[in-house]
Amino acid sequence: MKKEDTVKLISAEGFEFVIDKEAAMVSQTIRNMLTSPGSFAETQHGEVTFPEISTTILEKICQYFYWSLQYARGKETEFHIEPELTLELMMAANYLHT
Amino acid sequence: MENECELVRMCIEAACESRESVDTWRRQRRSLERLPSHLADALLRRLHRRRLLFPALLEVFKYSVEVIDLRNENSVNEEWMAYIGAFRYLRSLNVSTCRRINNSALWALTGMTSLMELDLSRCTKVTDAGVKHLLSISTLQRLHISETGLTANGVALLSSLTNLSVLDLGGLPVTDQALSSLQVLTKLQYLDLWGTKISNKGATILQGFPKLSFLNLAWTNVTNVPYMSSLECLNLSNCSINDLLLEGDVGYKAPLAKLQFSGSTFVKEEETFLNIETSFLIYLDVSNSSLNRFCFLAHMESLEHLDLSSCMMGDDSVELVACIGAKLRDLNLSKTRVSSAGVGILAGHVPNLENLSLSLTAIDDVAISYISMMPSLRVIDLSKNNIKGLIQQVDTATNSLTALQSLRYLERLNLEQTQVRDAALRPLSNFQNLRHISLRSASLTDISLYQMSSLSILTNISIRDAVLTNLALDLFRPPATLKVLDLRGCWLLTEDVISLFCKRHPHIEVRHEFAHVFPVQNSCNGPSPSGISSRTSPLNKKPWKMPVSQSFVDQRLKYSKEDLLVLRYSPLSLAYPHDAEIVRTELQ
Repeated sequence: MKKEDTVKLISAEGFEFVIDKEAAMVSQTIRNMLTSPGSFAETQHGEVTFPEISTTILEKICQYFYWSLQYARGKETEFHIEPELTLELMMAANYLHT
Repeated sequence: MENECELVRMCIEAACESRESVDTWRRQRRSLERLPSHLADALLRRLHRRRLLFPALLEVFKYSVEVIDLRNENSVNEEWMAYIGAFRYLRSLNVSTCRRINNSALWALTGMTSLMELDLSRCTKVTDAGVKHLLSISTLQRLHISETGLTANGVALLSSLTNLSVLDLGGLPVTDQALSSLQVLTKLQYLDLWGTKISNKGATILQGFPKLSFLNLAWTNVTNVPYMSSLECLNLSNCSINDLLLEGDVGYKAPLAKLQFSGSTFVKEEETFLNIETSFLIYLDVSNSSLNRFCFLAHMESLEHLDLSSCMMGDDSVELVACIGAKLRDLNLSKTRVSSAGVGILAGHVPNLENLSLSLTAIDDVAISYISMMPSLRVIDLSKNNIKGLIQQVDTATNSLTALQSLRYLERLNLEQTQVRDAALRPLSNFQNLRHISLRSASLTDISLYQMSSLSILTNISIRDAVLTNLALDLFRPPATLKVLDLRGCWLLTEDVISLFCKRHPHIEVRHEFAHVFPVQNSCNGPSPSGISSRTSPLNKKPWKMPVSQSFVDQRLKYSKEDLLVLRYSPLSLAYPHDAEIVRTELQ
């Protein structure tokens, strides 16, 4: 994988998730960060830090990104959300416009 | 918003999956307190719709929710209100038609600091004493208390809520005197006074509200409405109208946008309309009124919605409608004397017409070819008239409905109780944008049902009172998009075939005397969604013949076994004589 094709998402605890740029673009917020011209540090380094999002939630978010891509391509599987994650995941998804 | 954020929607769905899933997150206090209000509102709405909401659960939303809508919810009582009263940021509360809300339930709302909107409509137990609890909520801007137990004295008390801009007093015994004590409410923009005791004397007081733009005086004894400079919407349905908005300053007239005169009688028909500035009028409803001449239409070029149903409108007056037809979007001519010739006059003059009703008129098949010349039509109601769908020529018959194929946007077609038979419906298969089709006739057979299969985006099919056979329903391949199949009155169908069809197509709601199991989209284990299930109750063998109100539901269905056990000992159950007996025996 070329470095330009991936992004690094960093959780509140400092965990790093390297995922395809295409997957990360499922989030409207990340898309804006990566595509807006100019000064965003995120654009240059391909790194985004989320001090508000815990590792567990960010992992789930990344899973969702890939599930969403597959779903869009016609693979109709279910995306299971554990009830204990719903509130935090909801808030993260809201922030990420996902 | 929710469409954009698919994952947010999925989270809300997962959170409201079952009572168990609620129990896993309801202790996450810190997350709940951080929840943005629009998410909290959506979560609460979903819980309510899934019937997972109970008073104690409300507590977790205390710091996040801004909007609560519990309308028509019979279980809402003092206990619910006690929790709601503690909501820190609540902006809007709708408990309309919550029959158990009484004065002491309202006590919980005393002193709320952020409440701006409150709807208590049809809470019949609320009286003047209840209103006193509301007076401390100085932030209130919109208050709906129509059809409650208030008297004129209670209404007069509202004068201390000086921030009110919307006030709905419909169906209350508001007197002229009570209205005059409300004159201090100078921010009022919307005032609903239908069915009150206001007289002409009270109506003059209305001039004192400088910002009033919406006024409803339907079903009152008011005959003279004074001039109000900012008035935009006026409803005088079922009134006897004498003088209307006689202008104060010469030359300036209020820019009215919406007028409703449904069922009104006019004393001075022609003068009345001369006094009104009608060039900005968008909405006019004169259905059922005493009007005989329609010259007043001449200057209403902005009109988009015109209801002339049950009027003395005939072909001779249609020309007047055609002249102002350029912007018309909705036109109701049902129960008028308009015939096919009249429809012909309209054709070509109504380029933007989307919704046309010609129910119960004297039109015949010739009208259909004229209708096909109205290019924007989406909804056509041709029910209850003499349309046959066939035009008999010398030796052949042509399908008149074929003409409607040119209407690219046609979504809904109503042909109920017409002379249309199977053969005449053949052109329907070419109506590719049709979503709703309504038919009702004893001369329709299986062939009509087959023809529906080819319409790929149909969502609603209604073939009532038809001679459909079991075999036809068995072989019927419904369009994938179909949601409702209404077969009421198809007497040949048997229970087995209908339940088999329901089983095979669980997403289609079948309406028939034998269909009692309807698909419940949001099925949940335990409590059942009562709102929808009024028709689904297994108790209603013949739901259409029983005088059951829409909100009826067997109370036992709403609660799980655990709930019922808890309820047995709650003090409220004393209200029920049966439960009271149990308690009494236990006391002994």
